[in-house]
Amino acid sequence: MEAAMDERVGLLVDYIMKHCLWQFHSRAWDRERQNREILTKAREILCEENEEPADRLDRCHWVDAVVLARNYKEYFPWINALSRTEIVELMQKVHERMDYHTITGSLNQELTDQHY
Amino acid sequence: MPYHEFDCSKCIPERKQHAVLKGPGETISDALPLGYMATIPGTISERGCAYCGAKHVIGTPMKDVIHISHGPVGCTYDTWQTKRYISDNDNFQLKYTFATDMKEKHVVFGAEPLLKKNILEAFKAFPNIKRMSIYQTCASALIGDDINAVAQEVMEELPGVDIFVCNSPGFRGPSQSGGHHTICIAWFNDKVGTLEPEITSDYVINYVGEYNIQGDQEVMQDYFKRMGIQVLSTFTGNGSYDDLRGMHRAHLNVLECARSSEYLCNELRVKYGIPRLDIDGFGFEPLSDSLRKVGLFFGIEDRAEKIIQEETARWKPELDWYKERLRGKRVCLWPGGSKLWHWAHVIHEEMGVEVVSVYTKFGHQGDMEKGIARAEEGALAIDDPNELEGLEAMYKLKPDCIFTGKRPGEYAKKIRVPYLNAHAYHNGPWKGYEGWVRFARDIYNAIYSPVHQLAMVDISKDEIDMKKGFETRRGLSDAHLSVDTTNNALLRQYTGNFDVMPALRAKTIDDYPYLNRGKSKHVA
Repeated sequence: MEAAMDERVGLLVDYIMKHCLWQFHSRAWDRERQNREILTKAREILCEENEEPADRLDRCHWVDAVVLARNYKEYFPWINALSRTEIVELMQKVHERMDYHTITGSLNQELTDQHY
Repeated sequence: MPYHEFDCSKCIPERKQHAVLKGPGETISDALPLGYMATIPGTISERGCAYCGAKHVIGTPMKDVIHISHGPVGCTYDTWQTKRYISDNDNFQLKYTFATDMKEKHVVFGAEPLLKKNILEAFKAFPNIKRMSIYQTCASALIGDDINAVAQEVMEELPGVDIFVCNSPGFRGPSQSGGHHTICIAWFNDKVGTLEPEITSDYVINYVGEYNIQGDQEVMQDYFKRMGIQVLSTFTGNGSYDDLRGMHRAHLNVLECARSSEYLCNELRVKYGIPRLDIDGFGFEPLSDSLRKVGLFFGIEDRAEKIIQEETARWKPELDWYKERLRGKRVCLWPGGSKLWHWAHVIHEEMGVEVVSVYTKFGHQGDMEKGIARAEEGALAIDDPNELEGLEAMYKLKPDCIFTGKRPGEYAKKIRVPYLNAHAYHNGPWKGYEGWVRFARDIYNAIYSPVHQLAMVDISKDEIDMKKGFETRRGLSDAHLSVDTTNNALLRQYTGNFDVMPALRAKTIDDYPYLNRGKSKHVA
């Protein structure tokens, strides 16, 4: 069970890594915000709980989340059969692994530079 | 992910941390090359300097500006016309280059009077141009000329003239990337917000990090205009100086080359609350998703979908014709910075080639994170390679084609590896749907050129087949394809025009029915 979850998380993380750019902003605090905002919104969209935001900064995260959620549903059709609880758990693990690869486990020495 | 040590660089042990081989199951958290470091003494880098990065890459594509270097004439000459960032005002910025031509006597006695004289002469020679960028060089920086003071003096003497000063001498950073950084921050601090732009649409973007190589910007701008979006400014390809002063009024920053100009988008986000949307303009699927995102942002996704459907229907059969013939070919992505990650995955997915190596001359570790994450297993990732390492990599990896700059491109040809110019392109534009097919055509032409087939024969040792007749690209490329593929009536070679720009530039406002119409219901 755990191995199956691990494999699914790996597939979803690999999709982000190969197709998206939002996770690679230049500083750690930006990456934390990007991962949190976009993956949270993507989870909500997958659970059909998301509302279209009006604020422009929020909206920019939302468009990345909408396209990610759509592509997840198209390229990983098994996600459509998951319950809300399963999607929440899955996306939580995706978020944790993304944070590891791009922030806590990242070897990029520029992430902590205080200036842009 | 193990570090890779080149045989030729064993005598420079520090180089080992600048190359990694992406092994099975390995990620960017296992190993990452060092990047954006001062070049190691003893290794002959192929990088440019920070002056070149500021002037040649970022500043000069601005089209309605006199670009003048304050320094020895060689600095200007070496950054003139070597990159095809065209413009729709008859290429003013490519045709002319300006320098103060500093000599030894100016180093001794100062060159501020010389600078002022040159500025006045340049404005007099081109009375219709009222904007200027001045680029500091190592020589003028070391003697302490106060360029800003001279510029201010001229602006007071010549009403209507506006001058931007970029203090990015060659030594200001380990590579041209230091210059990208400096000019972005300088433009943001000194010029953004100094002019109120005219807003003509409810959907307004800055297109950032796009340099109009052979028309890329104009291709993308056409898509945006077809969606009814006002491209307020482009930083900087085909961009106008005054438009770029008004960047602060955009609703969204659409960022293409994050390597060269993410600094600007980050600052615009912090100070003006303009969000940053990173996009890919290369490849059918990444471009389609990018247009969708921009459309979604403004609540006009249907307009994006219409473009995606039209363009895909028109050009996909041609892309697939080349994909059938490029499948399995080994390529090295050896550009300067961003293209290694723009292309690493999509060129494999959509053209079928195997990316055996990615490298960057001036990229940072963030670029390597993106590039390695997008490359397939087995790719060799190299930061700031020297010529010997490039040669060793080509002998080892045996690529069918490399995409790189003209310096490594020339020695690639000497060892009979076809190369395409990743910076200035061969037959661009390469952005957009049609552009992506043009890129595929250039790769096809490079790999299957009968000339290259002949060049690969070493007459000093190879046996020459005297019975072999005349060869064509098509004959070479189709020799191992199935009959079903070669006879597939759904696929076809590129059928576009030799030059795509005249038709694009001939479009009028009537070709963009959405422009200046409709109201946004979403953007605050």
